[in-house]
Amino acid sequence: MIPRMQAVEFTGVTKTFRNVTAVDRLSLAVEEGSIHGFIGPNGSGKTTTMRMIANILHPDSGTVRVFGEAPAGTRSGTIGYLPEERGVYRKMKVHALLEFYGELRGGRDVSPEIDRWLARLGLGHCAEQKLETLSKGMSQKVQFIACVAPEPKLLILDEPFTGLDPVSADALRAAILEIRRRGTTVILSTHDMAVAETMCDSILMIFRGKKVLDGTLASIQASYSSDTIRVELENGGALGPLPGIESVKDLGKVKELRMAPECDPQQVLQALAARARIVSFAVMKPSLRDIFVRIAGPQQEEVAVA
Amino acid sequence: MRKILLIAKRDYLQVVLSRGYLAGLVVLPLLIGGSFGVMALANRGVGRTERVAIIDHTGGGAAAAILEAARQTSQPAASASIQPPVSQYKFEEVKPEADENAQLLSLSNEIRAGRVALVLVIDSEGARYYSNSAGFDQSGARVRDLVNAGLRRVRLAQLGIDDARISEALRDVPVTAMNLVKQDPGTGKIIPGEKRTGAPVGVVPYFLAILLMVVVMVGSAPNLGAIAEDKMQRVFEMLLCAATPFELMAGKVLASIGASLTTSAFYIAGGMMVLTGLATFQLAPLELLPWFFAYAIAAVAMLGAWSVALGSACATPQDAQHLAYLLIVPVMAPIFLMQPILQQPNSVLATALSLFPPFTPVLMLLRQGLPGGVPWWEPWLGLAGVLACALAVIWAASRIFRVGILSQGKTPKLPELMQWVLAG
Repeated sequence: MIPRMQAVEFTGVTKTFRNVTAVDRLSLAVEEGSIHGFIGPNGSGKTTTMRMIANILHPDSGTVRVFGEAPAGTRSGTIGYLPEERGVYRKMKVHALLEFYGELRGGRDVSPEIDRWLARLGLGHCAEQKLETLSKGMSQKVQFIACVAPEPKLLILDEPFTGLDPVSADALRAAILEIRRRGTTVILSTHDMAVAETMCDSILMIFRGKKVLDGTLASIQASYSSDTIRVELENGGALGPLPGIESVKDLGKVKELRMAPECDPQQVLQALAARARIVSFAVMKPSLRDIFVRIAGPQQEEVAVA
Repeated sequence: MRKILLIAKRDYLQVVLSRGYLAGLVVLPLLIGGSFGVMALANRGVGRTERVAIIDHTGGGAAAAILEAARQTSQPAASASIQPPVSQYKFEEVKPEADENAQLLSLSNEIRAGRVALVLVIDSEGARYYSNSAGFDQSGARVRDLVNAGLRRVRLAQLGIDDARISEALRDVPVTAMNLVKQDPGTGKIIPGEKRTGAPVGVVPYFLAILLMVVVMVGSAPNLGAIAEDKMQRVFEMLLCAATPFELMAGKVLASIGASLTTSAFYIAGGMMVLTGLATFQLAPLELLPWFFAYAIAAVAMLGAWSVALGSACATPQDAQHLAYLLIVPVMAPIFLMQPILQQPNSVLATALSLFPPFTPVLMLLRQGLPGGVPWWEPWLGLAGVLACALAVIWAASRIFRVGILSQGKTPKLPELMQWVLAG
């Protein structure tokens, strides 16, 4: 089997802003044709990493390669980038704006692609409207089209679902998956762990500029033991102290228990059964959300520099 | 280059199709026309007869002599070309009263009531006048001339010269203003100087220099707020993936130059039409137009880049207003230096100021248009200085732009901007 090319390769990349290290000796590889999710708390360095891939920022040290090449000028023909801080020329009409971005990025007239995407995302009737007349969600879809119309090989989406209603989010999700099926590599950052779990082939977690997780969801979870119990009791009341349980998280009807390393789940089950009638009881590996909180939760801090 | 032109095209069309630009294009001629209208209105009263009271304490016929001098100077001079419009003075002798202060108070009240324009008092120590003038009109100089002409008549009469000979001796000699004699560089033929007619010869180059200042301002100033607005709207990050900061800035500066040239072409074409309509096309400074456009392009490149950089450093358009002085000062300063240059266009100070790059476009153009012109090398040296300065400003501006465009938070102070330039 021929190994796939790496769409993005970071080797020991560091980026600092004055005295703040935004990205610290980061190495990563994004496989071509995959969807790679970036997760991490606010200010952890995700956006800085994405900006370096897009060649908007340059690393202080280390190397960045995109499709095997070192950065030179802009990579507009190769990369579509939807930044987290999104903005457009509000006085321009939708189609004219998309033509401008398309020509700037792709160096060609992308009107047919624009028309197709406008129709696909339900914005066909807005083509001659000014951006300032559109809702935030519609404007966000227009910006997405600006990224994908020139048909980039690599699509970078910084929190693409933020601010979208569920219907629009589903439409965007379907569009991203379609783009991936055509062979485009997608890198997306998200705070929605469900998105990362369900959409991404591999996940990178950055915390305080450093890589703390990297791999598929299965491989990440495999590095954790089955130390989580999810239990639902008939009366739904408080559990009280249980043998070998480090912490209890109340999720509503369901309680999530985290076991100490020497804990025997059978003993926990017996203790619970003695107290109340059990509706469900499952021993599982921690979810991505749990893993995220375990890494970032206790010391999570807002860092000023993105 | 394709991307620069694409960005320039979008920005240019956005500027020249905006209501603000189109309105501004029309407003300036209206303002100029309006100022002429106001001047015409202000001069409506000029030419009417105004009463001047003379109180003569000398008892030596000074008042009568001044009245005679005034009578003679009120005759239209044969040599008169165009004189500024002035009121006719009607001198009336008022006998001195015992209480001089009370008399002067009474006459001052007459002036306040508008029934008398001026009170002239002559005594053994000289003459003084009382008026409501703010000092910008010519009343002081006219009264001084009349008093001296009158008193000279008195002195000459005291020397035994009769009235007819005095009038002949004091008669004005016509003095005609001429342009310099030139030599045709091709044929060597000497071209006689022409008689100056109409407005002072400095008017046309003065307006051309003012127009240059206007187009530089129109081209460069809007960048300041527009870039800050785009930055606040988070427009740039999407663009930065497709174009480098330099391409972005170059496109915007090119658009500024385009807007300035459009403005220039509109006003110059309009000016030519007006001159043609007034049958004074010979006043059109055609030989200065290539210099006008060369200076305009260089100045807008320099100040356009500077305004783009300042705008990129601002967090909001309101912050941009606070930094506007850094742009306005180099554009506006030459206007305050025009008066001494009009008086002494080839002085050392005038030469030095017009070779200072931020001032060169306006001041050198002004000097080039004045009679006598400037040595041939001065405009070239000045233009070279402006271009060198423009390159340096563009270099510094691109470094500020590169940092500023993605920076957030408070707007930097001038020392921080300098730090951005040095650190890149």
